[in-house]
Amino acid sequence: MAGKLKENIRNFCIIAHIDHGKSTLADRLIEMTGQVAERDMEQQILDSMELERERGITIKLTPVRMLYKAKDGKEYIFNLIDTPGHVDFTYEVSRSLKACEGAILIVDASQGIQAQTLANVYLALDSNLEIMPVINKIDLPSADPEAVGKEIEDVIGLDGSNAPRISAKTGINIGEVLERIVTEIPAPACNDDAPLKALIFDSYYDNFKGVILFVRIVDGEVKPGTKIKTFMSDKTFDVVEVGTFNPELRPKNSLTSGEVGYIAASIKSISDIEVGDTVFDVDNPTKEALPGYKKAQPVVFSGIYPLDGSKFNDLKEALLKLKLNDASLTFEPDHSTALGFGFRCGFLGLLHMEIIQERLEREFGLDIITTAPSVSYIVHKTDGEVLTVENPTKLPPVVEIEYTEEPIITASIYTPPDYVGAIMELCQEKRGEMKDMTYIDDKRVKLTYELPLNEIVFDFFDGLKSRTRGYASFDYEVSGYKRSDLVKLDMLLNGEICDALSIIVHKEKAYARGRAIAEKLKEAIPRQMFEIPVQAAVGGKVIARETVKALRKDVLAKCYGGDITRKKKLLEKQKEGKKKMRKLGSVEIPSEAFMSILKIDSSDK
Amino acid sequence: MAGIYVHVPFCKQKCSYCDFASFPREIGKAEAYFACLYKELKARSLSLKDKKFSTVYFGGGTPSFVEPKYIYGALKQIYTCFNVDKNAEITLEVNPGTIDENKLKVYKNAGVNRFSVGLQTANDKTLYSINRIHTVEDFKRAIELLKDYNVSVDVMIGLPDETVSDVKNTLDLATSYPQVKHVSVYALKAEEGTPMFTRYLNGELPDDDEVADIYDFVVDYLSKKGYNRYEVSNFAKEGYQSKHNKNYWARGEYIGVGVGASSFIEGRRFTNTESIDEYVHAILNGKVAEVFSENVCGDDAKAEYAMLALRTANGVDFNDYKNAFGSDFSADFKNSIKANGKYLDILDSCIKIKDKYLYVQNSILVDFISEKQ
Repeated sequence: MAGKLKENIRNFCIIAHIDHGKSTLADRLIEMTGQVAERDMEQQILDSMELERERGITIKLTPVRMLYKAKDGKEYIFNLIDTPGHVDFTYEVSRSLKACEGAILIVDASQGIQAQTLANVYLALDSNLEIMPVINKIDLPSADPEAVGKEIEDVIGLDGSNAPRISAKTGINIGEVLERIVTEIPAPACNDDAPLKALIFDSYYDNFKGVILFVRIVDGEVKPGTKIKTFMSDKTFDVVEVGTFNPELRPKNSLTSGEVGYIAASIKSISDIEVGDTVFDVDNPTKEALPGYKKAQPVVFSGIYPLDGSKFNDLKEALLKLKLNDASLTFEPDHSTALGFGFRCGFLGLLHMEIIQERLEREFGLDIITTAPSVSYIVHKTDGEVLTVENPTKLPPVVEIEYTEEPIITASIYTPPDYVGAIMELCQEKRGEMKDMTYIDDKRVKLTYELPLNEIVFDFFDGLKSRTRGYASFDYEVSGYKRSDLVKLDMLLNGEICDALSIIVHKEKAYARGRAIAEKLKEAIPRQMFEIPVQAAVGGKVIARETVKALRKDVLAKCYGGDITRKKKLLEKQKEGKKKMRKLGSVEIPSEAFMSILKIDSSDK
Repeated sequence: MAGIYVHVPFCKQKCSYCDFASFPREIGKAEAYFACLYKELKARSLSLKDKKFSTVYFGGGTPSFVEPKYIYGALKQIYTCFNVDKNAEITLEVNPGTIDENKLKVYKNAGVNRFSVGLQTANDKTLYSINRIHTVEDFKRAIELLKDYNVSVDVMIGLPDETVSDVKNTLDLATSYPQVKHVSVYALKAEEGTPMFTRYLNGELPDDDEVADIYDFVVDYLSKKGYNRYEVSNFAKEGYQSKHNKNYWARGEYIGVGVGASSFIEGRRFTNTESIDEYVHAILNGKVAEVFSENVCGDDAKAEYAMLALRTANGVDFNDYKNAFGSDFSADFKNSIKANGKYLDILDSCIKIKDKYLYVQNSILVDFISEKQ
């Protein structure tokens, strides 16, 4: 149906490898179109969360609308939709891409195309986006735009010779980019008369307006007063306000097909709507939803406990607040003998987990202890009952288990051919099964593996990074469950099981993992007044042992004369350190110890 | 009882581990410094007329490095301004490389009756490498000179590449003189900013386990020779414990004069500036040279008491504690005592850290401090 187009609108996103200048280019575009007053212009306006700015990665999507007067004399509306660049958020990326007609691909003039970028390029091509390459950082002495242009052609098959050569940092050739957006990125289709169909590609909670939906209107029109509903929810909402992102919310009379904007409809809870779902008009309903919706499922679980047991309610408040803007975060109360009361939380992936932890610490000022991440296992008991177990301590005794299943992922790894051997070795160690290997060209190989998810949460990324010197990229989706011989590995400190350190592992890995964790704990636990045996055990049988030796010297034995204050200060410091410890029986455990078991180098297996 | 501490911030050269207020290149300021010190003594004394002082201690720096007249003058000023017990213990720290017969005569006339001699180690190579100015021979000469006095010897453990046998040699030498009634054994601590810190980073220092082995050896060796441990780092023959130091651990009062000196008087702890110029400037202008001051009262005072008394072999005496605070130690520190029961000797009249755990006392002390905060 090649019907009418909204000629004055361009919806696009930017694809770039980390550090290749995505946020900087976005800043320049916003600046050049004069959308944000110079004085309000803060560096990298899109990455609005403090954490994002610090890590230089984009987590939350913040669209921006710009007005651009082109050389043809017409005024265009640009909607820039930012995309998160991490595998945990692949689904979010795919939703944002669905809101666009085109994508700017930024390639670093000195580094060329990185493997990770490729994955997103393929995702964009899958969504039928027009890709517009741009060669950035031409101001660098090591820049080689000619070679990079050729690489774009060789690797992706796009014409790179013609790509604008820019420096987002110094502002060279940004005007060219703006013109190209007009000429190269297609205008959206105009279907104003069709029944309303809007794709939700993000949302956040506003204290005054309730949930704000970020939408791309595919068909029809929405305006204040429209009664809306989504396919996955039974609730009906009255639209209170619609508008665009400038980047702050600016109300408008209506949003029509092809536009990107927001809908506020007094939606009380973020769990009432889901990203990827389709909004329709109750009075003029469309028959079918937009394709591609998937329910966001947590795949990684870990316990989060307040360091100070009395802060349980503060932690709860903080999690509830985070949940307001993050429907994919799940949590339920949990109790550990070692750590007291806390929460078992579910995350989309490891990065998501880290981000939540950091936000709890930074934005809410909480000191927390996080246990090793786990995944969700299916346990078939001898009595026929089937359980889902996310918490290692909930695994039934061995005698009651008929068999267990663990989640399996399909991993796509893109790599230069040199590292294929190293990756195969790593995947082998991680119990992976190779499904496919394709040479995309003479420089890229795509390996497809089936891997148990529980091996991925255990330092797979670090292993991949170090063995491929950062050249390989990795993407996965959970593909199902597989029968597997799993056991619970317990850690005993001074003879007592520390439940917060228990993990579920494959039987064949138990011995090596137990030994490695015992070694790590030996390093992480400071010497105390007595000798502490650190043991790893499976089903009551000890399989590894280390010893934290008793302290020999812990005294202020220097001559400080009458300077008692100095002595007191030194002890105060020691006291602060002690406060950060958790007591299990008589053993004091620093909070890092609970995470240290994760940081086991694959090379010590 | 109360004590007076006099700081002498001059030395011939800085030992490589030293982070105390001592300035080898500022000896030219000695005249002005002591003039101010006499002035400070007088000013401090005005409000302390009723207090009886039973110890005086000259520390440094190297008190034996400056002209002895300054020591004489300081003591004279002390006798004039303060009410000093006539049996007072008057100690002077001595570096073996800076003492001679003439100096000794002046000290004697001034009333000094106890000498604390810094030997540190009987290994000449080590002495040289840590920038001490003296040799083992110098020590022997000095100790002979002091044969009619009450002498204490300072020994350091944990020096670069030190072993138990090095320390045995040191103690063999120190205890071979009958006038040595007291030995202090301090563990080296590499402080940031000192040349020793670099050596520590280079891994030249024995680790904690090695130092603990040396310490255990020291305790055993000295007790066999009749020097009993009465505090973590201090060992003495019967009747020769240092009154001045014991006063610190009993939370007794003391006045400290000179740069970097700390005082504890009437519930207030304060410390002077470490800069000679600042000190001289303040005193000449009739001001105090304090850079730090805090009042310690209530539970903080109790916590301090526990922290200090538990360093000693006798621990906390219940009667002394009750006299000081009017409450029972066992009740005030109920939880810490219970939690550390394994490490404490709990007797009818006192409580102390078991011998075996005296060198790992910090985590016990931390419990006691925490209970009172």
